[in-house]
Amino acid sequence: MKILVLNCGSSSIKYQLFTMADRKVVAKGGIEKLGMKGSFLKHVRQDGQVVVFEGEIMDHKIGVEYILGILTSEKHGCLKSLDELDAIGHRVVHGGEEFNKSVLLTEDVLAVVTKCIDIAPLHNPPNLKGIRAMEELIPGILQVGVFDTAFHQTIEPKAYMYGIPYTLYKKFAIRRYGFHGTSHRYVTRRACELLGVDYQTQSIISCHLGNGASVAAVKNGKSVDTSMGFTPIEGLMMGTRCGDLDVGVVQYIMEKEEIGLRSANTLFNKHAGILGVSGVSSDMREVEHAKANGNERAALALDMYNYRVKKYIGSYIAAMNGLNILILTGGIGENADTTRAGVCSDLDFLGISLDTEKNKGFRSEGIISTPDSKVKIMVVPTDEELMIALDTEEIVSKIKK
Amino acid sequence: MPSEVIYEPIEEFGLSKKNVSRTLFSKIGIIGCGLVGQNIARVASFYGIEVVFIEVNEDKIREAYKNIEKVLDERIEHWGITGGEKRAILSRIKGTLDYQDLKGCDFVIEAIRAVDRGGKIKERREIFQRIEDVVEPDCIIATHSTTIVITELSSDLKYRDRCVSIHFFVNHQEARLVEVVRSLYTTDESFQKVCKFVNLINRKIISVQESAGLVSVRIFVVLLNEACEILMEGISNIEDIDQTMKIGFGMRLGPFEVADKMGLDKIVRWMDNIYNEFGDIRYKPNPYLRKLVRAKHLGMEVNEGFYKYDENGKRIFQNNQKC
Repeated sequence: MKILVLNCGSSSIKYQLFTMADRKVVAKGGIEKLGMKGSFLKHVRQDGQVVVFEGEIMDHKIGVEYILGILTSEKHGCLKSLDELDAIGHRVVHGGEEFNKSVLLTEDVLAVVTKCIDIAPLHNPPNLKGIRAMEELIPGILQVGVFDTAFHQTIEPKAYMYGIPYTLYKKFAIRRYGFHGTSHRYVTRRACELLGVDYQTQSIISCHLGNGASVAAVKNGKSVDTSMGFTPIEGLMMGTRCGDLDVGVVQYIMEKEEIGLRSANTLFNKHAGILGVSGVSSDMREVEHAKANGNERAALALDMYNYRVKKYIGSYIAAMNGLNILILTGGIGENADTTRAGVCSDLDFLGISLDTEKNKGFRSEGIISTPDSKVKIMVVPTDEELMIALDTEEIVSKIKK
Repeated sequence: MPSEVIYEPIEEFGLSKKNVSRTLFSKIGIIGCGLVGQNIARVASFYGIEVVFIEVNEDKIREAYKNIEKVLDERIEHWGITGGEKRAILSRIKGTLDYQDLKGCDFVIEAIRAVDRGGKIKERREIFQRIEDVVEPDCIIATHSTTIVITELSSDLKYRDRCVSIHFFVNHQEARLVEVVRSLYTTDESFQKVCKFVNLINRKIISVQESAGLVSVRIFVVLLNEACEILMEGISNIEDIDQTMKIGFGMRLGPFEVADKMGLDKIVRWMDNIYNEFGDIRYKPNPYLRKLVRAKHLGMEVNEGFYKYDENGKRIFQNNQKC
């Protein structure tokens, strides 16, 4: 079975083509600056050769058309014809309260995804454009939607409700949804697979630390809490996002700085976080470099970052009444050993003991806790695309039977 | 082993090979880069559009860049944009002396300073002509004006169906509104293109029939004239009149504050033009307004208008300002 995974953003489209028998990626790439001047498509062939296609890519439909054109081209492609494609798997950011798992995209489903635009105005429209484009270009192709929010739909009301008037939840569906669901689901399952333990019996905390960052508590195979909320700004301090913040501060800053909603939005999403505190960069490596050169604010930003993650770990251990596995993933979780060390330090009381030697320079998949650590600390590189492909395969196989 | 990166033109890889079209409004031109021109350049570039502006000499080009940068720095200081966004915005704006650089533009806006126009329509007709000589027949040509009629301005052109008049609100950042005027010649197709452009830069479009003063200026000048009248009759003072409108009617700024921001000379010119067009006494500049302009109290730009300002543009509060 051959499955194409698409991730359509507002000005980008990423894609990966999988052959499911061996779970291999046979081609991948992405379009950047979609609809803007200087748009291009970067394609990586099966042999590793990188090809950059330059030219105007006006919208999602044309972008998708070029992707299919390249995949079927004699020169750089790997498909003889589009008939070889069995299905398309789409990343869809927001499924609202309607979707708790991946689904076949029918007209009814798309109508609901369209309804969710209200709470994800930036993300759902481009997702929908990609789905519609595919439908037009390969009529009748099976398409599956994999939602970022679906995994967290098992969270109970006591954890997803905010302390605001209940009518606002009824009126606007304001509640915690959580994001990175596909990633948290993949790494938690993968960790159990690697350890050879039953996914349905484990208490796991998964820390996805990348550009955006969130922590999820997964008990007996179900997400029971996560740090991102109604929008992805809640929770951990991130590269440029502030994370948890007293709402009183928002009002106070807006008043003192005489700014409106737009500027406030930019302030908390783009000027804050690691960048805002350190004044150096949102890139962990640059901030660590600055710290090594004696920059105190860089050191403070890193301390704050680690401390926040640690606080969430502590609270989720309380929420789950214990912990078996602690996972670190995402660009920072997979590569920054100093962050991992900072996050896991002084948690021996809770049975979390990092093997500091093993952690140093660890860049692969595996355990980094000491042999006698009660909790297994693991690094599991995330692979959202594979997860989307697997979901798509499962749903499509059932239909084809 | 894979060699270096291979580059290919994407057009050859479409499924149908027929969908090769250009992004609409990937590049726009601006003639004259005063306050209005700078504002349009900054906004368009913010939304990813390349901007070419034409000025009369190198000094003016430098001045325009400097001012655009200054506003962007202020935006950063007030958390509106990031340093990276500022660099990207500036990199898309190019100043030039040569009309030939307008080649490839999808939209050209004439926005020369009112003082350089001298109120004469002849210069602007010439500019329209020079734009038409360089751009494609489907390029929209617009004038930034509130009191000059676009039909008159475009009547000499070969393709006059693509001309419109537009009016941006440059007073404050959040005024996301553009008035667009069709001439007698403007086709629906051209008008739709302008709407697309306005949508692209995230502004609301107000379609207005051709009439001097449009909606905004015509209402505002009468409001200001009446405010001056009340002031002259000694009924109230500047501060209180502004407060009344702000608090009582929920306006962001009072009439005198707006006037100071816009520039009193500009407002008097508007009034003169509208008065000449309609002959209605309501539009005739109030004597107090004329007095301030003669005294060169032109508003915030010179630190004195209805109010006084320090060198940072902050208002100096005085008690009971009367005329």
